[in-house]
Amino acid sequence: MIQGLVQLFIFQALGELVSKFALPFIPGPVLGLVLLLAFLVLRGQVPASMDTVGSSILQHLGLLFIPASVGVVLYLPVLQANAWAISAALVLSVVATVAVTAGLLKVLAKKD
Amino acid sequence: MNNPLRSDLPAISEIWVYLSGSPLLALVLTLSAYLLGLTLYERSQRNPLANPVLIAVVVVCLSIGLLDMPYAKYFEGAQFVHFLLGTATVSLAIPIYKGFASLKGRMSVLLLSLVAGGITSVLTAVGMARWLGVDESLVRGLVAKSVTAPIAMGIAERVQASPTLTAIFAVSTGILGAVLGRYVLDALRVKAWWQRGFALGVAAHGIGTSRAFSVNAEAGAYASLGMGLHGIVGAVLIPQAVGWWF
Repeated sequence: MIQGLVQLFIFQALGELVSKFALPFIPGPVLGLVLLLAFLVLRGQVPASMDTVGSSILQHLGLLFIPASVGVVLYLPVLQANAWAISAALVLSVVATVAVTAGLLKVLAKKD
Repeated sequence: MNNPLRSDLPAISEIWVYLSGSPLLALVLTLSAYLLGLTLYERSQRNPLANPVLIAVVVVCLSIGLLDMPYAKYFEGAQFVHFLLGTATVSLAIPIYKGFASLKGRMSVLLLSLVAGGITSVLTAVGMARWLGVDESLVRGLVAKSVTAPIAMGIAERVQASPTLTAIFAVSTGILGAVLGRYVLDALRVKAWWQRGFALGVAAHGIGTSRAFSVNAEAGAYASLGMGLHGIVGAVLIPQAVGWWF
């Protein structure tokens, strides 16, 4: 288990380094993700301990963004003032996104 | 009868000063609020409206309000949880890699739909919000809201948006997608599980993905693929697009 955690940290650190010195416009963890993906494709399988650690972290992904989300207390007044407009934008946007993605998939997949 | 230990006990206020100075209080608060959220979510038969993160955020906000604890102080302790977001982002490579196995040569179709969906997400949210006169400081927070929260917050820092607002909008989008997604898909008569799942993952990231998994395993696998690919593509393209649009 510790082995898997160390491997994930190493890829995270590599990603941060590449982001800092080569591709500053992409967040370090995303570069870490891409590097790990390349490693997995080359290796042909997911190391068991990495799979255990990664899956447990992802299973509780929601826990990890609680600290940042609690910052909403700092924005309550401006959010309240715009509550209806923001809700309308979020609803319209998610409906449109599902519709466009699924609709296009359906049309394109039929051509195959 | 007098308790002999009593005189040795420090005053409550002293205990309090000691506790609130260590990161433990914020950590315990965060984890117990999340546990409470998870319990209520399970009790509600995994109703997406009883989202554990949403419940936990409300509980923590109310608690630090009651304790009179400033947000900065809370975050100082809770940052240990926050730090793992980066590690979680890296871990997303695992479901994406596993998703590759079930692709059957659908990659180009998936990528095309993903890019179209991603553009739709940003354009409709920002367009609608501006049209309705939403405060410009909030509009930027909408840009990355369909991307999975850990990546969305990284994007937010690069487009001068607030990571907090982005996280809040991302969670709301996830919940809305998990609740409304099936009606949109039914209305469009999209029947294939892989198409339904992928669309949910693209539009509603982690929350849509767990919804997809609870309905069908193939839908879930494609939803995680959609969420992961949207994360990568979004992290590369959204900051560029914002550069010339704003």
